[in-house]
Amino acid sequence: MSNDLSLTTAHADGPTAVVTIGGDIDIETAPALRNHGLELIARGHPHLILDLTHVTFCDSSGLNALIGILRCAMAANGSLTLAAVPARMVRMLDLTGISTALPSYPSTDAAMDARVADAS
Amino acid sequence: MPNVPEASPGGPQRRILTSSDAELARMEAVRRYDILDTPPDGAFDRVAAIAARLFDVPVASVTIVDTDRIWFKAAHGLDGVTEIGRDPGLCGSAILRDDTLVIPDTLLDEVASGNPLVTGPLGVRFYAAAPITTSDGHRLGTVNILDTKPRLITEADTETLADLAAMVLDAMELRLSGLRLLREEQERRKEQEEARERAERDRESITAFASTLQRTLLPPALPVVPGLELACHYQTDSPRDVGGDFYDVFPLGPDRWAFFLGDVCGKGAEAAAVTSLTRYTLREAAQHHSQPADVLNALNSALLLDPSMGSRYCTCVFGTLEPAPGAGFTVTVAMGGHPPLFHLRHDDAGGVSVEEVRPKGGMLVGALEWARFASHTLHLAPGQSLLLYTDGLTEARLAEGTMLGEDGLTAFLTARDSPDAARLIEDTVSLIAGLPSGAGDDIALLAMSVPRQTADEQPATASTAHTLSTPAPFDDAARVGQEHSP
Repeated sequence: MSNDLSLTTAHADGPTAVVTIGGDIDIETAPALRNHGLELIARGHPHLILDLTHVTFCDSSGLNALIGILRCAMAANGSLTLAAVPARMVRMLDLTGISTALPSYPSTDAAMDARVADAS
Repeated sequence: MPNVPEASPGGPQRRILTSSDAELARMEAVRRYDILDTPPDGAFDRVAAIAARLFDVPVASVTIVDTDRIWFKAAHGLDGVTEIGRDPGLCGSAILRDDTLVIPDTLLDEVASGNPLVTGPLGVRFYAAAPITTSDGHRLGTVNILDTKPRLITEADTETLADLAAMVLDAMELRLSGLRLLREEQERRKEQEEARERAERDRESITAFASTLQRTLLPPALPVVPGLELACHYQTDSPRDVGGDFYDVFPLGPDRWAFFLGDVCGKGAEAAAVTSLTRYTLREAAQHHSQPADVLNALNSALLLDPSMGSRYCTCVFGTLEPAPGAGFTVTVAMGGHPPLFHLRHDDAGGVSVEEVRPKGGMLVGALEWARFASHTLHLAPGQSLLLYTDGLTEARLAEGTMLGEDGLTAFLTARDSPDAARLIEDTVSLIAGLPSGAGDDIALLAMSVPRQTADEQPATASTAHTLSTPAPFDDAARVGQEHSP
């Protein structure tokens, strides 16, 4: 049984937006994640933090979406940061080498702190 | 009531009265209703029965006039009569006029008095008929009333007879629209059936096409590398899917070879296009760059440059092979986002050590412009082997539902005792075949081993290549595996 994807966006009043993701990121739901990320960047939030605490599954389609968002963010001089990455996703990100391109932090707060430090 | 003498076909009374354009158009209208020679129908029988009762006559009928006969759709009081000739005087004349024909006494009518129905055993003396006229003016037939004694009918009776004829036309229209619906339904069903058959044929040709494409995407066989044993296996999840897994081994010079194995993200035609581009780019780049990591850089740029490739990327291992000083081979591999290789060392005592080759930081190829690829050099000594695979192997499901994983693969490899590449591939194929749901994904395997030399054997005499390529459903792969398992 696949779990529906949920996307909750917060702190979207400056250049940084935090998206809390829940459920499965698979071939069905990955496009929604990708579109949501691209839309936030287009609306003036090129720095995205994705909180993955509640992600129950992520396959190569999900990875594809993350790469798509990362490329778009970089083209807009922004960034993509991951927070609270589940252990199984850490493995996939390490294996594919994508972890070297996507900084990750244990929590959204830590990611926000790093973002602020980076910006100042 | 006596039977009506039937006009003999082709007999003297039987003739086509008119062949004018009007008659041709009328016949076209008759055929449109497709009613001639149909079985009895309650609606028409009831009209004939009502007419007989209303006018208190022994015989009433509903007829349709064909080119050369008058056919009875309904006949009340005329048992067993189905048709008569188009003789003039009665129905044959009624069909030629727009209004109702009334003949109070047939013996007093010049034409009717010669009609077989009048002169024959039926002895018709009274006849009245209202034409059944279509909305576009074609007279298809008549509603008739007949009696054996002369009589008069009122104007109102004449109108009633015309109304009955109109009711018959209504019944014929209803019947026709029912027929049309039925025909349309049959037509639609036939079209659906044809579409289904067409789709079936298309599916078959697509499957055939995909199988051909699968074969073209794979090297026909492995080359012979002196002093090295090579073996490979390839299977797709379905014969229709063009897999995204690929591999190749090819010479770079007299004493140098290149190999690669990888997996394009996705399936189908788009993945096949990326697979094709990847294979040719790697072969080409290998001629220009001596470092495997540079070859992957070239592939990364090529995949990102081609706008038609979209966001497709691949995981890939690319390596080179050179005979090492002394014995065995020097192997340099660069990896991009690919699962680790396994380096197997078999010792003389039958023990085996399994080492993962996992250079740090190799990123997916074709995903990001600034991707970096990690490389690693190892010595493949006699009695050692190297296993390359795509994630279809490590992600195959075990009986308990968990994935085989790298740990499971390590355990499997540790338990084996043969260093031969061919045996390694055969055993791994058997392992997959023994899983409850098979692979569930495409799998590509490539193994290379350096045979152990005996004391008096010259090095580099043993060299073999085995290709176990199975772009077919899993069952076939399973069979191959079992046939070869010890």
